[in-house]
Amino acid sequence: MKKLISMLLSLVLVMGLFTGCGTDTSSVESGNAEPSTELNIYMWQQYISDDLIAEFEEENNAKVNLSYMSDNADAITKLTAGGGQEYDLIMTCDAYMESLVEGEYIEKINFENIPNASNINESYWTAKEYCVPYLMNYIYVVYNKDTSPVEIKSYNDLINPALKGQIATIDGARNLFPIALVALGYDPNSTNENEIAEAYEWLVKYNENVVAYGNAEQNLTNGTASVAFTYDGNASWAMAELGEKNNLVIADFEEDSVQLGFDLYVIPKGAKHVDLAEKFLNYITDPQVMAENLVEYPYSCPNDAAVEAASDAYKNDPARDFDYKENVFFQKDVGEAITIYNDYYQKLKVGE
Amino acid sequence: MKKDTFKRNTLPALAMAGPVSLWMILFVTLPMLYIIYISFMSRGVFGDVVYEFSLESYETLLDSTYFKVIVKSLRAAFLTTVLCIFIGYPFAYYIAKKPKEVASKLIMLIMIPFWTNSLMRLNSWLLLFQTSGPVNNFLQSAGFIDAPMSFVYTDGLVMLGMITNMLPFAVLPMYSSIEKLSKSFLEASADLGATRRTTFFNITLPLTFPGIFSSIILVFIPSLGIYTVTDMLGGGKVLYIGNIIKNQFGAIRNWPLGAALSVLLIVITGLLIFIYTRFAKIEDMEVV
Repeated sequence: MKKLISMLLSLVLVMGLFTGCGTDTSSVESGNAEPSTELNIYMWQQYISDDLIAEFEEENNAKVNLSYMSDNADAITKLTAGGGQEYDLIMTCDAYMESLVEGEYIEKINFENIPNASNINESYWTAKEYCVPYLMNYIYVVYNKDTSPVEIKSYNDLINPALKGQIATIDGARNLFPIALVALGYDPNSTNENEIAEAYEWLVKYNENVVAYGNAEQNLTNGTASVAFTYDGNASWAMAELGEKNNLVIADFEEDSVQLGFDLYVIPKGAKHVDLAEKFLNYITDPQVMAENLVEYPYSCPNDAAVEAASDAYKNDPARDFDYKENVFFQKDVGEAITIYNDYYQKLKVGE
Repeated sequence: MKKDTFKRNTLPALAMAGPVSLWMILFVTLPMLYIIYISFMSRGVFGDVVYEFSLESYETLLDSTYFKVIVKSLRAAFLTTVLCIFIGYPFAYYIAKKPKEVASKLIMLIMIPFWTNSLMRLNSWLLLFQTSGPVNNFLQSAGFIDAPMSFVYTDGLVMLGMITNMLPFAVLPMYSSIEKLSKSFLEASADLGATRRTTFFNITLPLTFPGIFSSIILVFIPSLGIYTVTDMLGGGKVLYIGNIIKNQFGAIRNWPLGAALSVLLIVITGLLIFIYTRFAKIEDMEVV
């Protein structure tokens, strides 16, 4: 009998391991009256200052949990699969806003609680009621003026065979195809299969010249690549790293437009700590706070007041010193054509 | 009477095997069945899985581009395995012949690199071999080369990364089987006038074959599915089947195709394990 009891007890003990995962949801609803003490954010890594997060935690007596995505698709997966259960703020980009609003995956934001949002330039709001723009990126071409065999003035210069194995580039179907489409004179958000197929042929030549996808700033500074197709923030790092010896210049595009993308925060449907999320959005749009963030993460910023308050180093950053800032295009939702893009992209990456 | 056997036999068995079985069912069998299930479904426009039967993913698998990647991955995994065995066996042999205290220290040396994260180790390869890195600097200053060589983002560096990642999995099983090898076999062989060479090929090698085969399994299967090495050292240009699967579940969001590719990997793995069990049995019988 003793044996049986001890056996049963050990079974109970072991079973306890599996039941620990069940959570009680009862406390969530009643939590509305009291201020939340926990904020869960899903965003890009290396994109917000740890010091500022710590400061926010202290000010609000709350704990901020940051989780990181490795791809824009990750954020979309979270948002469409009931992200509000896990997260209070999710970062996504302008290209997805239309379908996110349409699919009712995100909450309307109460801007009365975010007075600092007025610091953001009017022209940079996409889906105004549903998001708060955070930082933005020009995706342009930089090259080493001493080692690059080609002076680059357009996308078509990138497929010059002289550049074989010289280009470090960002990855992703929706980042690569638009430059091919622009180079061929088409709409960067084309949904026409023939045009996309032509863009694929262009990218096959481009791929010949690519030395690596990703890590552009590292490959530029250590000399592995002489040309990079990358974000202005990454170019800024590379230039700062080289310091006095900086020989990187921004390609002087005459006609081709460059892509401008926004990263923005949205509140997923059913988020549990909306009050704290709003406080955070107000905090991060504060000019002084954002200016501090820009010291660490020198990306382009849609927050005019913050840019005004930013350090001289940021204002005089050579990575943002180019004169075709108005000649930009945006990534748009391409609807069902995304499968065409993805199939050609896959073919591009495996075909040799 | 019946109750008694339950108490005596079934209950203890349930208490001991139950948790493990439950764990395996929950976290291995069910996900695997789900993978097989969605591999027969269709893909939705926004990367969702549409629950309608379709063989589209398997038809896509036969597409020459995917076929090429599969062949390429098998070749790379095979090469990694062969090199790991050829580098690992002499090493394991050397360790096994050392006194116990020395051997345990040598084993330790294999384990130490694993105290660091594998991504860290891969990154350090990049730093060593990059254009302005120590290896290039050394070769240049020693006068072997005039201009820096491009080592990074090549198939060669990927192979180097694979081998360094996998070598311990090759060495450890071979070490244990060489170590277990009874000295009396070797002495008998020497007494009967065999040369060291003959002894090695006729006694040592066959008797340690189960260890070699475990090493093959332990190296081949992970190197078939690995994607971090190719991602980091190949710069996203060298793609193996693992990268394709990762892309289907990530950026490209074609889950049924990713699942079909995973099923293919499971089939290849299953086949290998089947061969292994056959081999191991035969060997065991010969040993006894």
